[in-house]
Amino acid sequence: MAGEDGKDKVAPRTTEGQRKLDRRDVLMGLSTVPALGLFGYAWRKQNQVKQAAARAAVAPREAAAAGDVREVNVALLGAGAQGQVLTEAMQRIPGLRFRAVCDIWTEYNQRRVVNTLKRYGHEVNGYVDYREMLDKEPAIEAVVIATPDFWHAEHAIACMKAGKHVYCEKEMSNTLEGARNMVLAARETGKLLQIGHQRRSNPRYIHCHDKLLKEANLLGRIVTVNGQWNRAVAADLGAPDRYAIPQATLTQFGFKDMHQFRNWRWYKGLGGGPIVDLGSHQIDIYSWFLGSNPTHVTASGGLLYHDPKTHEWYDTVMVIYDYMTPAGPAKAYYQTQTTNGSQGYFETFMGDQGTLLISESELNNPGSIYRDPNAPAWDAWIQKGYIGAPVIPEAKDEEEGASGAIADVRESAAPDRHKVPVALTDPYHQPHLQNFFDAVRGKARLNCPAEVGYESAVAVLKVNEAIESNTRLAFRPEDFKVGGEA
Amino acid sequence: MSQPDEESGLRIEGRRARDARRHSHEAMHTVFEVYALHPDARYAAQAAEAALALTQRLERDLSRFIANSDISRINRLEAGEATRVSLETLECLVIARHMFEVTDGAFDISIGTGLSSIELDEDALVVRATQPGVRLDLGGIGKGYAVDLMADVLEEWGLRVALVHGGFSSVLALDGPVDGEGWPLTLSDPAAPARVLARLSACQTSIGASGLVKGDHIVDPRTGEPVRGRRAAWVAAPRPATRGQAAADGAPRLAVTAVTDALTTACMVMSVDEITALCARSPGLEAWVLEDHGQDGAGEAGLRHFGGMHSDGPVALQTGDA
Amino acid sequence: MMAETRASHWAMVGITVMRVLVGWHFLYEGLAKLTADSWSAAGFMKQSRGPFAGFFRWLASDPTMLAYSDTITMWGLSIVGACLILGLFTRLASLGGIGFLMLFYLCNPPFIGYFYTIPSEGSYLIVNKNLVELAALVVIFATGSGTFAGIDRIVHGLWVRKPRLARA
Ligand SMILES: NC(=O)c1ccc[n+]([C@@H]2O[C@H](COP(=O)([O-])OP(=O)(O)OC[C@H]3O[C@@H](n4cnc5c(N)ncnc54)[C@H](O)[C@@H]3O)[C@@H](O)[C@H]2O)c1
Repeated sequence: MAGEDGKDKVAPRTTEGQRKLDRRDVLMGLSTVPALGLFGYAWRKQNQVKQAAARAAVAPREAAAAGDVREVNVALLGAGAQGQVLTEAMQRIPGLRFRAVCDIWTEYNQRRVVNTLKRYGHEVNGYVDYREMLDKEPAIEAVVIATPDFWHAEHAIACMKAGKHVYCEKEMSNTLEGARNMVLAARETGKLLQIGHQRRSNPRYIHCHDKLLKEANLLGRIVTVNGQWNRAVAADLGAPDRYAIPQATLTQFGFKDMHQFRNWRWYKGLGGGPIVDLGSHQIDIYSWFLGSNPTHVTASGGLLYHDPKTHEWYDTVMVIYDYMTPAGPAKAYYQTQTTNGSQGYFETFMGDQGTLLISESELNNPGSIYRDPNAPAWDAWIQKGYIGAPVIPEAKDEEEGASGAIADVRESAAPDRHKVPVALTDPYHQPHLQNFFDAVRGKARLNCPAEVGYESAVAVLKVNEAIESNTRLAFRPEDFKVGGEA
Repeated sequence: MSQPDEESGLRIEGRRARDARRHSHEAMHTVFEVYALHPDARYAAQAAEAALALTQRLERDLSRFIANSDISRINRLEAGEATRVSLETLECLVIARHMFEVTDGAFDISIGTGLSSIELDEDALVVRATQPGVRLDLGGIGKGYAVDLMADVLEEWGLRVALVHGGFSSVLALDGPVDGEGWPLTLSDPAAPARVLARLSACQTSIGASGLVKGDHIVDPRTGEPVRGRRAAWVAAPRPATRGQAAADGAPRLAVTAVTDALTTACMVMSVDEITALCARSPGLEAWVLEDHGQDGAGEAGLRHFGGMHSDGPVALQTGDA
Repeated sequence: MMAETRASHWAMVGITVMRVLVGWHFLYEGLAKLTADSWSAAGFMKQSRGPFAGFFRWLASDPTMLAYSDTITMWGLSIVGACLILGLFTRLASLGGIGFLMLFYLCNPPFIGYFYTIPSEGSYLIVNKNLVELAALVVIFATGSGTFAGIDRIVHGLWVRKPRLARA
């Protein structure tokens, strides 16, 4: 390439090496140095923007002022699967002192939780009858309830009447009447009643609601919602033979036999089936994010797969809700089935400017927002740290973690999926419990008080009714309110 | 820690074993399975389901890929910060630290980032960091630990004839399918699974396996250098006599599969002398190392056997090419 | 000393601008990788296609070689970039850059019938931007643009005492 026939057409250049450098040589020699300076400037600016975005994305940690937390005496009522999860999560909350555990399965769940709590340094007594516990443990200030749904109303109301604040697992109650009485009891006693829709306290959900939807309105007008919770077939729950509960105890507490005791969710009068068990979490989010309660519900469902002898509720449910949101009408679809776990659980909110895909899981679909090609650019929100920079789809066989493993000297065009940059770094139920105990100490307002739990119960329990009657059912606005009288 | 457990070189063989009902579940990037023989199939399925459900719960505590796991929270600790962890996480960390000491650092859940800067407060169940930047990865012990806990659940349910494993890299055999005989297992060359190197009959025995597929490597945490010349390692140890309901009473568990799991990883990087000394120190421990004399799994491979001269070890039926 | 092909003054100005732009790009690619949390060429090399796929996959699978290639790539790109901007050791830098681009091109060549999972912002058939940038570096190499506008000019003036080839 170095053509020797090329003539030097450049204006006067050194023709003899011995010549000293002239001014022109020096000037020309340094002429491109400023470009490096410019690069340095651009590089610094770019990094500043990136850092600012990263800083903004780190959710402000609620400074748990360890010094001045007042100790709260706590009891657990219902030490099953969920009671154990809540107990674990509560070990990470400062200032809690466990006093008692009440569970009718003394030999198994009760003993397990009592032992765990002892290991964590709590001196606790075990009870079978919650009334005895309330009598004998006057020091208890708050009760966390995780019994089967059909016990919630009785348990929560009795605890509040005994002067305790209550954290009660969802579903608030298996009947509207029970849920209504719980709201009334909370009002009457002035005690706190938090319902366990824990997504209401999840930092990612709060970020999406407060920042992405309300403040930035990134989705524009939300017209449709889609969500699901699909589960693969699983064996019915059982119990080790040697820990079977005496029949008399089972009968006393409303269970026909051990099988029903373990699988109460599937039985009418005890639970509400998958739509209530799983759907209630997500349908609660529909109403929260849409800013209104539904006006109508259409649903179809059935027991298509499981054994009707041991399953009374529908194993498959598909629902459509109509909403009249402040921005206009919207429709929301929800499905739950228990024969195939495809895609697990998530909620998708679709507006004319974008789509939000979110779930509680930190592993699958933890949060992505997609910009509609016609929507205005989102760079300002990226810089504010509200959303992540566009995600470049990763090469198939890439190792996890090795981000941007592209050695190509080109930057790739940006597809427009953005991550929601807020993760839950605490155990799953901890923030919701923390919110409850903050409220008990007078430092916060409940994220899911009885009234909110009630609205959600109204929307969800109506689904089973709609399936049974096979008609489209209407909600009146007053259906979601609890009046002065029961 | 690179541990492709698809090629652990460990298998169950024989018809009797295949008669056992199998239940499986995916967690911790592997497939856990329960083989169980019980007259009531439904009951056995429920027991297996209860045991398998544990893996998911443990993964939520132990996985470094889950942002709100105990391990992720530990990995984010700044110097002087502390976090409370579950009983299981703490127990797993205690075993891991012990294994670090026993193997002179050849098994290191911090992969050389400084396990010593993590303090464990066993009474308060608190983990404190004295230095920032420690990165824990329980990949080399978590599966084994899960298998131990699953076996406890099966026993709680009264299932004694069972075998539990996680991706066949952590195996725990309870009572065998035929009276007086163990579960028939084979060790084979991961690069040529058809080539059986040894047959074992395992009963109340835990076996860990580490194998490499071509192109993978394992790094010695003590030097940071990849180790060559080892294709696979297996470690077996007898399961301590069960203590009935002790597990439910919060007594410390003797998590033998967590131990063998950790030791196989160590055996991939320890010298022959180190392994010999380890087995001499630990009655009942038995180890096999498949050495790679050629380049890249192409050449000759030789099986070395350590320990196991003790009466209560697993019975090696045959060793050598079959 | 090598003879230089000299273009007209304005052509040389244009080539110099091109040199600075290519250098800027190299420098940013290099620094971005150096400052990324854990950049590695493994992903790129593992999905290599074409006649040299075996070589690149081998590089990616051997931890020692991979570490070398990563270091060489990150620092190499940065140094080549800075030199091109400054017009310092321009020829050497161009050669280095040509080498890198050649490797990138050969690792994942846009040959007929290849489909890649790495996203690209354009459509390429045999010729891609790596190849075009490579051609630009050939021009820069050939014209020795650093001795026109760049530190090379000063270096030459100071240290290169030998008379240049006589010019008409
Ligand atoms: N928020 C969530 O994500 C979530 C998840 C799972 C369960 N839950 C809710 O938690 C509650 C419990 O669910 P679970 O899965 O733990 O069920 P479970 O059957 O595992 O546990 C229920 C426990 O309550 C005990 N119990 C039953 N009746 C009692 C009574 N009258 N007095 C005292 N103890 C009694 C049982 O012995 C058992 O230990 C349900 O309301 C469920 O909807 C919420």
